[in-house]
Amino acid sequence: MVKKKIAKVLAFRYKILAAILILLAGGLVLLPKYQKHEGIKPEELLSNTISPERYMTTDRLAHIIINQDPSFILIDVRDEKSFASYSLPNAINIPLKKLFDEDSEGYLNQNQFDVVLFSNDHFYADQAWILCNRLGYKHMRVLKGGINQWYTTIINPMKPAENMAAAEYELYTTRKAASMFFGVVYPEQVKVEAPKIVKEAPKKVITIEKKKKAEAEGGC
Amino acid sequence: MGPLIPNGVIPYEWDNIIAILIGIAFGFVLEASGFSSSRKLAGVFYGYDFAVLKVFFTAALVAVIGVYYMDYLGFLDINQLYVHPTYLWGAIIGGIIMGVGFVAGGFCPGTSLCAVAIGKIDAIVYVGGIMVGIFIFSELYPLFQPIYEGYFYGNVTLEDSLGINPYWFVFIFSIIAIVAFVISDMVQKRVKKIFY
Repeated sequence: MVKKKIAKVLAFRYKILAAILILLAGGLVLLPKYQKHEGIKPEELLSNTISPERYMTTDRLAHIIINQDPSFILIDVRDEKSFASYSLPNAINIPLKKLFDEDSEGYLNQNQFDVVLFSNDHFYADQAWILCNRLGYKHMRVLKGGINQWYTTIINPMKPAENMAAAEYELYTTRKAASMFFGVVYPEQVKVEAPKIVKEAPKKVITIEKKKKAEAEGGC
Repeated sequence: MGPLIPNGVIPYEWDNIIAILIGIAFGFVLEASGFSSSRKLAGVFYGYDFAVLKVFFTAALVAVIGVYYMDYLGFLDINQLYVHPTYLWGAIIGGIIMGVGFVAGGFCPGTSLCAVAIGKIDAIVYVGGIMVGIFIFSELYPLFQPIYEGYFYGNVTLEDSLGINPYWFVFIFSIIAIVAFVISDMVQKRVKKIFY
């Protein structure tokens, strides 16, 4: 009895399989669509964002540049005009608008170098950082404070007040040395020795009284 | 999560081993379902056996539906899958040559090796022919190179070139498959039965 029933069902087996296939394919069409996000997952992006490795201090960057560390690429995300007027040594200019050009992808989407983004502040660099991170680009860093911070800490470090800790003084001397590397000249470096004024003994003037010529006497 | 190897779920070093395992399983299934017989394979052209059409069409259908469901559920990123590059005229000419060989010899390259494994003499001759063909192709490669490397369209899919919604495409594709199965069954009933 049971066998007969099974045989009855199995007679339709290909039709059942065909119906299942069509149902499944139709299900794909009818499923509610949702927008898939591209790039890395939001959780990953968030954990990258709050990671302390995101920022690089100017002191560390100065150290890297002075030691000529080849594993870093500096990328200036400001526009061409600002880049032309001043930038960090060996920096590459990729303005924020051209971030996803084909030419720039080679610098950003790679696995060999650490990329340090910077702008005047770290505002635009942060935007570039977020965009690149979402696409899953690796080894992206932002120069904390950007060029302004670079200027106030490395190029023109503030002299610590007298009541500050010794560490501050050490930091100051390091920064000062770094700034000298980048071409800043300090007044004490160019101490010009004041010319010695050799006092010459006043000459004694010995007046030799000449014998007065005898005045022509007489005459007629 | 998927594909497993590019995303590091399975280490990269395993891919050759997995390929061998899948190959063994594929060969076993081909042999077990009678695909090492050139008569069964050629049946699709003479209308007395449509197993080849049904098997490969169903395989494609199951795979495409499965891939799109896995993509929808987030188990698999469809954009990371390998898409075979399209060399249009190379594919057309190669397809014609392969089709002629299929009708004439009764094997496709995969099933011929499968039949060699069980010692069929016609398959051994067929594989010998494949080797001769490879030799001729390699020797005359400079002549064929413009066709072989030309007409390159990139790694395109039907979705890209037709601009069709992939889900609708899968649905239409499965309907076409079912219709093809029904028609092939009708043809098979009309054709004179052949014992093989």
